[in-house]
Amino acid sequence: MEKAINRQQVLLEHLRPSNSSSHNYESILSASACAAGDSAAYHRTSVYGDDVVIVAAYRTALCKSKRGGFKDTYPDDLLAPVLKAVIEKTNVDPSEVGDIVVETVPVRTVNRQCSSGLQAVADVAAAIKAGFYDIGIGAGLESMTVNPMAWEGSVNPKVKAFEQAQNCLLPMGVTSENVAHRFGVTRKEQDQAAVDSHRKAAAATAAGKFKDEIIPVATKIVDPKTGDEKPVTISVDDGIRPNTSVSELAKLKPVFKKDGTTTAGNSSQVSDGAGAVLLMKRSVAMRKGLPILGVFRTFAAVGVDPAIMGVGPAVAIPAAVKSAGLQLDDIDLFEINEAFASQFVYCRNKLGLDPEKINVNGGALAIGHPLGTTGARCVATLLHEMKRRGRDCRFGVISMCIGTGMGAAAVFERGDCADELCNVRKVESNNFLSKDVL
Amino acid sequence: MPVFKTPFNGYSVKFSPFYESRLAVATAQNFGILGNGRVHVLDLSPAAPALTELVAFDTADGVYDLAWSESHDSLLIAAVADGSVKIYDTALPPTANPIRSLHEHTREVHSADYNPTRRDSFITSSWDDTVKLWTVDRPTSVRTFKEHAYCVYNATWNPRHSDVFCSASGDCTLRIWDVREMGSTMIIPAHEFEILACDWNKYDDCLIASASVDKSIKIWDVRNYRVPIAVLNGHGYAVRKVKFSPHKRNLLASCSYDMTVCLWDFMVEDALVGRYDHHTEFAVGVDMSVLVEGLLASTGWDELVYVWQQGMDPRAV
Repeated sequence: MEKAINRQQVLLEHLRPSNSSSHNYESILSASACAAGDSAAYHRTSVYGDDVVIVAAYRTALCKSKRGGFKDTYPDDLLAPVLKAVIEKTNVDPSEVGDIVVETVPVRTVNRQCSSGLQAVADVAAAIKAGFYDIGIGAGLESMTVNPMAWEGSVNPKVKAFEQAQNCLLPMGVTSENVAHRFGVTRKEQDQAAVDSHRKAAAATAAGKFKDEIIPVATKIVDPKTGDEKPVTISVDDGIRPNTSVSELAKLKPVFKKDGTTTAGNSSQVSDGAGAVLLMKRSVAMRKGLPILGVFRTFAAVGVDPAIMGVGPAVAIPAAVKSAGLQLDDIDLFEINEAFASQFVYCRNKLGLDPEKINVNGGALAIGHPLGTTGARCVATLLHEMKRRGRDCRFGVISMCIGTGMGAAAVFERGDCADELCNVRKVESNNFLSKDVL
Repeated sequence: MPVFKTPFNGYSVKFSPFYESRLAVATAQNFGILGNGRVHVLDLSPAAPALTELVAFDTADGVYDLAWSESHDSLLIAAVADGSVKIYDTALPPTANPIRSLHEHTREVHSADYNPTRRDSFITSSWDDTVKLWTVDRPTSVRTFKEHAYCVYNATWNPRHSDVFCSASGDCTLRIWDVREMGSTMIIPAHEFEILACDWNKYDDCLIASASVDKSIKIWDVRNYRVPIAVLNGHGYAVRKVKFSPHKRNLLASCSYDMTVCLWDFMVEDALVGRYDHHTEFAVGVDMSVLVEGLLASTGWDELVYVWQQGMDPRAV
């Protein structure tokens, strides 16, 4: 240790030279408290083999429903390429996968409305932790072209007696107006949030940031007039408008309430898309030699007033963060679903979050919100961005509001504490002794 | 431009005098303070990936410097922080290396330089205040030069006179030595602060550059060593290495703790002719190729080795 201290002293002298004529060997190196932030509340344990880790997360591009790239694509054909990619890119044997939990498509389905994608991932993580299986896929899939948001069944008449139950049936846009009105989110703030979302998404697309997570889908487009089929490959989100501005959005008329503030421009887009996340035990990932993209830490689903369901994230995020043993300040990156700009702005302000950390590559206002897919889509986007940011970015949170009055949030940790060494030689036979000893 | 990422922090880079596409990098773990070291021998190819590793040698302590042999195209001298000097043969497999380990210095060996004219000997300088002269075939040093009062950071041979070398020390002096003479032949109190590097001009055997903790580089003529010929200011922190160009008389390259590599023309009023800020940590190693005009290489604590042509951007793809 002496040697190390001496070397440090020599180096320090180069940077902060003392009087040239004397070399004071006893000079004390001054230590100062490390200013780097630390997730202090988080117990610094070493990684455990039974952590549930994500080794792959992919999505299709998200396209406008009815008019966009996937308007003539069956939902199954959206999910198939993503599932295939998740298996092929990791070389996992399909027979080893314990379960696939998907929103709206069997093998096993889950339905928690907008959070279904995230709930699917959480269910798989929980099953792996419970030991039901070691490898699972959580996926989300939505073709709002084929399945527009609507309830066609009947409703229990008793609902009318309870205001809160009745409010569960409110159209989503009306809840957005409720949030905007009750919490004073102005039209301008909402339009600005939309502009920011488009700008960030456009910048991310231009910088090629989505290339790591988007799986191109080869499908067809049918010309509505002539009926001609044209084969296409969709690999870019087509809802993003890079040149939109507040003045342009100001021209749009409110859709859900007269004199309201929620317009088509500051609501999430109705889209088609799919996403899949491959989870497994860390020990399994290490055995297979798979790099770890992220670690699944906690999940929380909370209930909120259905009339203002948009506040879901503001309640769910603190719950998930707390159960992870962290503080809000410890979270480095957020993906908060922008169902409506009104609720997104409200949640951001209520929790006092740094806007620089939220939806850095754009959100649902620009990219789209295919209901069941969003959770899985956010996992892919969040984890790939955390990987790009390196060690600076340790914890991330995904959250969304849920129609009928809920919020869901999950905490993820960046995978692999060590940086990837891309050109280090593999040691063939390791006897753990230095060559000089031999 | 070719980039290579080393697993450890870079300390020194040297082009091979035999092959224009070969270079060696000395690296040390944990910034050279504690841990192992590794010597990488890299090959520069026109196809991507441009810089590939030919062979690497692990050492028990950090490697602070290396020198290619001028007599054998595959021999490499490594100056190791544990005080040993190791000789590697790149033609032999890693298990047969190092072919020699010479352990005489009592503290970290900071630099190694091979005699370019006599080609049979090399000098190493150490933090134990001495410079030692060695030949490849002898198991012990030929001579030890002990006069400096503090760490000797650099010792370089004169390119014209086979028995003359210069040493730069933390005692703020440059000393010129002749191996045939008893003691040092000249003492130049070059700076008020530690001198971290020195190099001879390849076209004028009387000119020496000294690089110091006072952020300046001074050019001295040994015939009149009272006053420097030029003082080159421009670095923001201590200057770590300096190297005269093998192709242009007035050109020299330097690298510094301010993370930049600078090119200077000391005969011109405004001496700074180029600045490269590609490193994101201390830039501690720089070299100019003898075989390819204008080819530069640098390495730093950011674990990257860059090779680029003078005038181009090292980070260009």
